[in-house]
Amino acid sequence: MFEVRTWRGRLVLQVVVTVMAIPFLFPLIVMIKGSLAGQGWRNFTAVLGVPGLAQFFINSAIIATGATVLVYVVAMMAAYGFAKLHVAFREVYFWLLLACLTLPEVVLLAPLFTTAIRLGIYDTYWAVILPLAALQVPFAVLLTRNFLNGLPNEVFDAARVDGASSLRGFLYLVIPLTRPIAAAVIIFTLIGAWNDYLMPLVFLQSPQMQTITLVPQFFVGEFSNDQTKILASAVITAIPEVVAYLCLQRLFERGLSAGAIK
Amino acid sequence: MSSAHGGSTGPHPSGAVVAGTSAGGRCLPAEPGKTFAGRDRSFRRRRRSPGLPWILPALVLSAGLIYYCIGDTAYISTQNWDGISPDMTGVGLGNYTRIFHDPVFWDAIRHTVEFFVVTFVVQTFVGLMFAVLLHAKVKLAGVYKVIVFVPVVLAPAIMAPVFRHMFAPDGELNALLRHIGLGALAQPWIGQTSTALPVIMAITIWEWTGVTFVLYYAATSQIDRSMVEAARMDGAGNIRILISIIWPGVRGTTVALAILSAIGALKTFDLPYLVTTIGGPDYATEFLGTYIYRMTITLAHVGYAAALSIILLVVALVIAILLQVIGRQGKARE
Repeated sequence: MFEVRTWRGRLVLQVVVTVMAIPFLFPLIVMIKGSLAGQGWRNFTAVLGVPGLAQFFINSAIIATGATVLVYVVAMMAAYGFAKLHVAFREVYFWLLLACLTLPEVVLLAPLFTTAIRLGIYDTYWAVILPLAALQVPFAVLLTRNFLNGLPNEVFDAARVDGASSLRGFLYLVIPLTRPIAAAVIIFTLIGAWNDYLMPLVFLQSPQMQTITLVPQFFVGEFSNDQTKILASAVITAIPEVVAYLCLQRLFERGLSAGAIK
Repeated sequence: MSSAHGGSTGPHPSGAVVAGTSAGGRCLPAEPGKTFAGRDRSFRRRRRSPGLPWILPALVLSAGLIYYCIGDTAYISTQNWDGISPDMTGVGLGNYTRIFHDPVFWDAIRHTVEFFVVTFVVQTFVGLMFAVLLHAKVKLAGVYKVIVFVPVVLAPAIMAPVFRHMFAPDGELNALLRHIGLGALAQPWIGQTSTALPVIMAITIWEWTGVTFVLYYAATSQIDRSMVEAARMDGAGNIRILISIIWPGVRGTTVALAILSAIGALKTFDLPYLVTTIGGPDYATEFLGTYIYRMTITLAHVGYAAALSIILLVVALVIAILLQVIGRQGKARE
């Protein structure tokens, strides 16, 4: 793309990129510096000493895993049905799903609330997992169907002619062949579920059910607005996400671009 | 049923099991009067297995839950209801007419539009610049990538207290401004109506430019190198190449990002809820999402909130369809 031949030009580019990157780095520096202000490392030990902190992580992990497994299974199946099997009025069903793509979760608040109470799942993991998964499925189906459409029909026809049932076709063809796009689906759903704030805020009441996105608010109460400890709690909750990203960097970037680029 | 494989020997009776293909390695006696190739094609015409059971779970979970909620919301939107009491009063379309005369609703719409325009333009510009510059053999490119992308994975809810701290009157931003001699610019960023909305925009840009960057980075690497080379031979400079080759080359990505930003703007909730505390000073950062939340939970005007939800839903659908159409037209023109 850009071509710079002189060292002076290279230096200019380097400076430009650095200046552009500073605003992105600044809040992270503020976060870390703030968390070490006052009592220094003791802010962290104070936060880690709060009973039940681990439970926040466990709850988030259960919800994120539950939603991701549900979205993965349901979306893979649907994409297989849409792309490679016979469905009457296929496009009608597909658009029915796609219309849900644009839906803001806040719209679901009032009806979901009454439904959750009626079904007796209010303040359980299901009250968060089900709506989160429901909102993520349309995008996952869109991605996976596009991907499966790109695979040759011959493979699936050959399996069928050999007498493979659609279940075998799913287990031995769809699951292994969709691995690249599955990475995208799983990562999108994981980030979405792990970072979600509104659903846990509304549907989880008891303290032992709270997720990590509710941690900062919990600590506002716990430490009566001691900023440094609140920032320390933010650092602690951010660490797993940053580590996960750094370890799976390739996967994140490839997954993201798989969604938008053919 | 797809019949993309054309040129067949006529429909094979569906359900008739005729085994034996090259792929299977087994061979049963061929049907009389059919060449091997002809028979092979006729297998493909066989009816595919029914797919409805496969798409049903997705439909029940997603469409079922969501359309049920929409239906319920549509019904509640014609009622005057506080969300708890057993008696609702039907008000017909009363909630909707009230909304159209509600200045806060129009404020929320205006904020959403401004928010979309500013965040989309800035993210597109900064994201594309990062993508192009990091393709240009800048040192430590990996480090810059991480810096720009890490905000994407951090939950807004977790970063909210950090930003409240940073934008506070005695916060780090004002400290920085004073330090570099721009102390005159220091101000209570979150607490005053003029800067509350720009703060929300800035945080959103901080959070989402990583996505824009990664998508543009992938899109620009797919641009035909020889075209860039040819342009350079003809004496085109970097800026010229950016405008005439790269920008048109990433058009599809830009349209996809526009859709994502528009929907994101309509869904905005976490930041104005947490950073400027539900809607900010004097409704300065009220968005449809926060207004619906305020009406549902804080003020218990559930009927009114339901009507707002339906309007939000219609706007979201219209925008998605519009952008789809624009995207298709653009593709057709190329």
